[in-house]
Amino acid sequence: MIGKNRRKLIAASAVIAAGSMLLSAAPAQAADPGLTSSSIKLGITIPMTGIASPGYNKIPGAMKAYFEYVNANGGVNGRKINLVVKDDQYIPTLAVAKANELILKDKVFALIGTLGTASTKAISRSAQLSARGIPSMFVNTGFSGFADKKAYPTSFSLLPSYQMEAKVMGKYLDDNFAGKKVGLIYQDDDFGVDALNGFKQAGVNFAIKIPYASGSQAVAGVPGTWITKLQAAAPDVVILFGVSSATAAALGNAYAYKYAPKWILGSVGGDATTLAANKVPPAFLAGAKGLSFAPAPSDATDEYIKMFMDVNTTYNKGVAFDNNIVAGMTSAFLAVQAIKAAGPNLTRKSLIAAIEKGGATFANPALSPLGYSSTSHIGATGYWIGTYDATGALKPDGGKYTVYTTDSGTGPVVISNYKRPAMPAKGLPN
Amino acid sequence: MHKFKPSNTSRFLGFVFLGIFLVYLSNTVDELRVYQGATVAMYVVAISSIILLTGYSGQVSLGHGALLAVGGYGAALLRNNFNAPIWLCFAGAVLMAAFWGALLGATAARLSGPYLAGTTLALAVGLPSIANQFKFLGGEQGLIFDIGLPPASLGETFSQYKWFFWIASLTALISMWWLQNLLRSRYGRTWRAVRTQSIAAELAGIHVARSKVLAFTISAGLAGLAGALLSMTISTVSPGAFPLSLSFALATGAVISGVTTLGGVIIGAVTLVAIPEIADSLARRIGASENATINLPGLLVSGLLIVTVLFIPNGPVEQIRQRKMK
Repeated sequence: MIGKNRRKLIAASAVIAAGSMLLSAAPAQAADPGLTSSSIKLGITIPMTGIASPGYNKIPGAMKAYFEYVNANGGVNGRKINLVVKDDQYIPTLAVAKANELILKDKVFALIGTLGTASTKAISRSAQLSARGIPSMFVNTGFSGFADKKAYPTSFSLLPSYQMEAKVMGKYLDDNFAGKKVGLIYQDDDFGVDALNGFKQAGVNFAIKIPYASGSQAVAGVPGTWITKLQAAAPDVVILFGVSSATAAALGNAYAYKYAPKWILGSVGGDATTLAANKVPPAFLAGAKGLSFAPAPSDATDEYIKMFMDVNTTYNKGVAFDNNIVAGMTSAFLAVQAIKAAGPNLTRKSLIAAIEKGGATFANPALSPLGYSSTSHIGATGYWIGTYDATGALKPDGGKYTVYTTDSGTGPVVISNYKRPAMPAKGLPN
Repeated sequence: MHKFKPSNTSRFLGFVFLGIFLVYLSNTVDELRVYQGATVAMYVVAISSIILLTGYSGQVSLGHGALLAVGGYGAALLRNNFNAPIWLCFAGAVLMAAFWGALLGATAARLSGPYLAGTTLALAVGLPSIANQFKFLGGEQGLIFDIGLPPASLGETFSQYKWFFWIASLTALISMWWLQNLLRSRYGRTWRAVRTQSIAAELAGIHVARSKVLAFTISAGLAGLAGALLSMTISTVSPGAFPLSLSFALATGAVISGVTTLGGVIIGAVTLVAIPEIADSLARRIGASENATINLPGLLVSGLLIVTVLFIPNGPVEQIRQRKMK
């Protein structure tokens, strides 16, 4: 009885299947998704929960706040910007799933600020960003590959590459600690390899190099032994070129062992908020050196920081202003500049073309030049180096930003005389 | 007693029917659903591997994510270094994971209960990070796993995700058909005997340890296959793709499916894919705060897990079957 029915069903569904195959036809190409005459939809997937989320989970709120500020003042070319936020927990599988939801269900016009090299790579490949022409603005990773236009034609970096960072540190050591013994703790993977290449180019000789195994979920190595090893080699300066958990572990153990060299913290691990979430009191950071390409969040004399602070107070109520807020708003600000530059007849293609054409001269808070061109998708190209105070805030030495700039290749590191374009009136698109 | 016992032929036809239905489905639903369908097919294979291990042979694994990682890396390495065709990548993934599974199984046969759970848990924590130690495994950012574009003969509008869905569905159907046959065979009966009463099984002439190692090996092979499918859908393989939470999700999926019956496996697989989306639309409808929205999927899954364990500990399919038998 059942067998017979089942056979009938098979026959019926085979007919339906064949019919629907014949009927499927290509739909006509309309305007790009996520776009109306009065709105633009952008999407971000980022760790909002999980081990990598502290600090980073403030970024979407900061972006939203700036977009709301722009929307309240008429939007960009008459369009209001909406940001759809998804949580990927720093897991590439989830990042792809969320990016697909953003692209296929929420139908966003472009992605913004995807975080983490593995996740960003997986999204780019699996969701076929380049084949579909979907812009991925300002990916949040220092992996230099995303600046390669050939490999990732629709992606744009914002952070300087790890190699640039290492080269800048090398130059800084040369200028300030010539002849001193230098130690290094680095992540034993491509993040660290990029850095080692940069240090090699800068001619840094290390008295001791301590690699640690990375792992997005593992506790970083055996930090106690790092300190004993460091004490034995006795370097004057120690560079911590690692993620926050490793940086936190090193600083915490050094404090316990009463070991106090001159620390230089890499930009990835040197964020006071994230370190605080990893149980490192801000005071542990005091006196250490750190790098940034954006103005210091505490620097209210900077016109951008002042504007961001005001926006944060109005549109992001109750959220403490720190470098994650600055990072989120900087990305949002640049995105607005790019959308403005692409003109009223916005398309995905015209957005990419606009960044390639004018991105290097967009108004933006970065203190180093931006490197966007028709051949390169690199964003900021350098860093200033400052000192952490007792509250964990990074401040420029002598109250003045000395910005070093370089490239991801063999180019020299020079002190930049770049003059940042003035902020458009009220920080709105001009 | 069962009123109806399907023959092997009708069961095979059932799978063919299901296959035709899936082809039909892939042509009617939108691309996001097709992508999610591929993920569901991956979960079907992964959860069935746990059901085989836990439900049939009575061993616990909290570390299946690690075996998925072995399969994912195996497939990507075969593809990238030897330009192997897809079926060979998948076969390689099965063999490599099965090899690991055999090693692990040999250890596992000496352990039981919480000790085995602890061992496999350690594996899930440790194994994916090994990728960071060897350059050829690509470190934290992992390797590309590109199975290539769908064949041109399928037409220009045939999307990449539909291609993934077809491959994943076919793989899942074949492995489910094979697995349900295996579980009905002498091996399946042996495993159940060992799980229910290992001393009695031994008295009946069953080599308990060997039977356990075999179950672990086959389960690992299936997990490797699932890993290859997972890597295919995200086109890359990296340590971060196999977090501890994946292993737990699979265990959860197995419990929701009903750990003693293969028939419910699709329930667990669909649940794992659908819950985040249900949570999302639910949160949007009630206008929940961002914080609540983010934590809702975890809450729903945990809630479902508790409800399942409390009210239908053997899973929905077994429950229905028992009710019918009364």
